[in-house]
Amino acid sequence: MNDLEDKMRDALRPVGPTDGFSDRVLARLASGTQRSTQEAQARPRFHRANSRWVSIALAASIVVAVLIGQQWRVQQQEEGLKARRQLIEALRVTSDKLDLAYQVVNDPSPSEAQHEPGV
Amino acid sequence: MKAEATDPLDEQLAKARSGDQRAFAALVRAHQRSVYSLALRMLTDPGAAEDLAQDVFLQLHRKLSMIESSAHLAFWLRKIATHRAIDRLRQQPAASVAALEEADLLGVHIEGDPLLQRQLRELILDLSPAARAVILLRFQEDLDPLDIARTLEMPINTVKSHLKRSLATLRDRVLNRDARSEGHLV
Repeated sequence: MNDLEDKMRDALRPVGPTDGFSDRVLARLASGTQRSTQEAQARPRFHRANSRWVSIALAASIVVAVLIGQQWRVQQQEEGLKARRQLIEALRVTSDKLDLAYQVVNDPSPSEAQHEPGV
Repeated sequence: MKAEATDPLDEQLAKARSGDQRAFAALVRAHQRSVYSLALRMLTDPGAAEDLAQDVFLQLHRKLSMIESSAHLAFWLRKIATHRAIDRLRQQPAASVAALEEADLLGVHIEGDPLLQRQLRELILDLSPAARAVILLRFQEDLDPLDIARTLEMPINTVKSHLKRSLATLRDRVLNRDARSEGHLV
């Protein structure tokens, strides 16, 4: 077992990266710092632009909602008027029919009078 | 983890914490071999190993304030490197057994039996990511099981179990190889 462990240590001796590794790390560090600074500067602009668009979208939504509400109310009124007109027409027709029926009942026809017994 | 500032790396650490980039570069140079080797032997791909090692040092730069000493620094770097490598292998398991010729790049050090060394490195690639990390920390970094357990945040019995099973597997395969080569000679 010890022999194998020694062989493992030989096989797994550390190897280094290619030359300039620390320089590459520092370069990434510098670019990352630069990038995060740029991002920090860009962020308020982004937020300002973003909040302006949010305000515009909100105002547009309110206008659209008001218009839709108005249109809905007008449509409801029109439907109410139409229903009222239909009801009045129905009442008028019913009234005409009732008048006709009343006339028929109150004005008996001559043929009916001749056939009455005792006349 | 606190240590007296007699170690030159402790001085470099103190300077790096105060923003000295040259001191930070010195810390990178002092530990790049260990971090890169762990990454390379875990991932087997030199490009991925370089990326991972760089990421570890960038993370170190952000966390310098919490590093207490040079001993803590070495422990922290090994821990982050192995955890990142295990995570990457779990996300991209195919990369773990990638090109064996990449593993040949590991054979820089030639002392003893180069074929056996190559075979051992190839056999390690067959182990699970966690078992591979245990073997590397034991034989590359020369850590004892307790330190390996702390580094990998793993129960010590699991570490011992990984070591026992992995070494038994490797020994069997090496013995089989020897038997086969003797068979060829007869």
